[in-house]
Amino acid sequence: MIRNLTRAGSLFTIVGVLAISSGASTPASGQQPAQIVDVTVERFSFTPSEIRMKAGTPVEIRLRSEDTDHGFRIAGTEINITIPKRGRGTATVRFQPDKPGRYEFECSKLCGAGHAFMRGTIVAE
Amino acid sequence: MLPSRRFALGAVLFVAALAPGTTAAQTTTPAAAPERTTDISGYMDFHFNKPELADGRLDFHRFVLLVTHKFSDRIRFVSELELEHAFVEGLEEAGELELEQAYLDFMVSRRFNIRAGMILMPIGILNERHEPPIYYGVERTFVDTFIIPTTWFEVGAGVHGELGRGWRYRAFVASPLNAREFSAEEGIRGGRQQGSDTNIGRPAVTGRLEYVAIRGLTAGASFWTGRSGFEFRPRFDVPVTVGEADARYSRDRLELRAQFAQVGIGNAALLNDALGRAVGVNPNIARTLRGFYSEAGYRVLSGAKAGDVGIFARYENFDTQFRMPEGYLPLKEFDRDAFVLGATYWPDPDIALKMDYSAVRNKSAVVKALDSFNIGLGWWF
Repeated sequence: MIRNLTRAGSLFTIVGVLAISSGASTPASGQQPAQIVDVTVERFSFTPSEIRMKAGTPVEIRLRSEDTDHGFRIAGTEINITIPKRGRGTATVRFQPDKPGRYEFECSKLCGAGHAFMRGTIVAE
Repeated sequence: MLPSRRFALGAVLFVAALAPGTTAAQTTTPAAAPERTTDISGYMDFHFNKPELADGRLDFHRFVLLVTHKFSDRIRFVSELELEHAFVEGLEEAGELELEQAYLDFMVSRRFNIRAGMILMPIGILNERHEPPIYYGVERTFVDTFIIPTTWFEVGAGVHGELGRGWRYRAFVASPLNAREFSAEEGIRGGRQQGSDTNIGRPAVTGRLEYVAIRGLTAGASFWTGRSGFEFRPRFDVPVTVGEADARYSRDRLELRAQFAQVGIGNAALLNDALGRAVGVNPNIARTLRGFYSEAGYRVLSGAKAGDVGIFARYENFDTQFRMPEGYLPLKEFDRDAFVLGATYWPDPDIALKMDYSAVRNKSAVVKALDSFNIGLGWWF
């Protein structure tokens, strides 16, 4: 298990994180510019549910809820954040896999009867 | 250094930048999600209903607890236990304790996953998405009560997943409806077996295709088909088919919804004859039931410290006697229209104080449909 985690960790040069803000985020100085993707979140979907990016280039995912608070977890990484309720700001995740691959994400906070349908994929090409 | 620490350092280099003017920002370091987790959540709502020509009623309509457990990233358990009308005693009709969901999900891939247990039928907008703060109106729509029998749940198994480009699907086999419990007024609603020692001689098949690629839009179509005459001797088929299409669009303060549903009941004349002989009264069950509604809601107050306020209007048409078998006349009192006007106040996105007035009309010259004034308080946690 620990070996698997170590292997998974080596896939990412930057896996970042977040913030909950009421506005757009700006890259820190010296930081590689990111592809920005706005994701609308509601029971029980992420729109878009498929995010395409270039491996090695960071993507900044801005998540805004239309109803309750949700979670955003990328399987196999340590990214697992809370998306605030409607009208309470945007959660932003910065993600940069350095190898092509498919990374599944899901809602990690129980949000209703159809919670299990809230999934999506990041495709790094 | 421990491998797990190397992972943490290698995986998390950082980043958190806040917009200028941000007032309540919080930067967090991501933490790995535990592999096995159990969550409890739920929703509740209670209602005040004042039907025309009758005293008002106060009812704790739903107390629902959801318990989920994640065995691993691949295997999850989801359950939903609902107490309706607060009190259950023996054969008392007032209250119900229902196991609405209790299934295992085996997550194989994004496109293909397997579900088995007590599952919701994937029909319409409300059957799978019915938490009180997310729909306008104190009560669920008439179409989702008399044409689609929400909450519709049965034991079964099937598959679900995403096909890409915003398309997703579910397809299940499940217990069929029991035609012995159909009625003229409520259609197929009484026929739900609800997972209790169900007959599964000929499983029903149900499915839904949904499109969610356009921001704010969810459009779907669903079907259910099964044979429901298993209780009759000599046995005869009562094939039932439900077809449904719906769309929901929201952008900023605006929310629009529309839904159409139709139910076909085969051999309805034979069914009426068999039930009439059994109970001595002709049940007058139709061969086709039909309903549709459209709704517009608008948040007149949004993002205020005190919360949001929305107003809505809905028109519904629902007829459980739409087409009759040959030799039967429709009961016009069950050909109904409803105009529902109301408002919702959300002091928190998960709490909804609702109020509406429901004006119902029917085509009968004898039996009058009753209007009602309703207040509800619902919440999710």
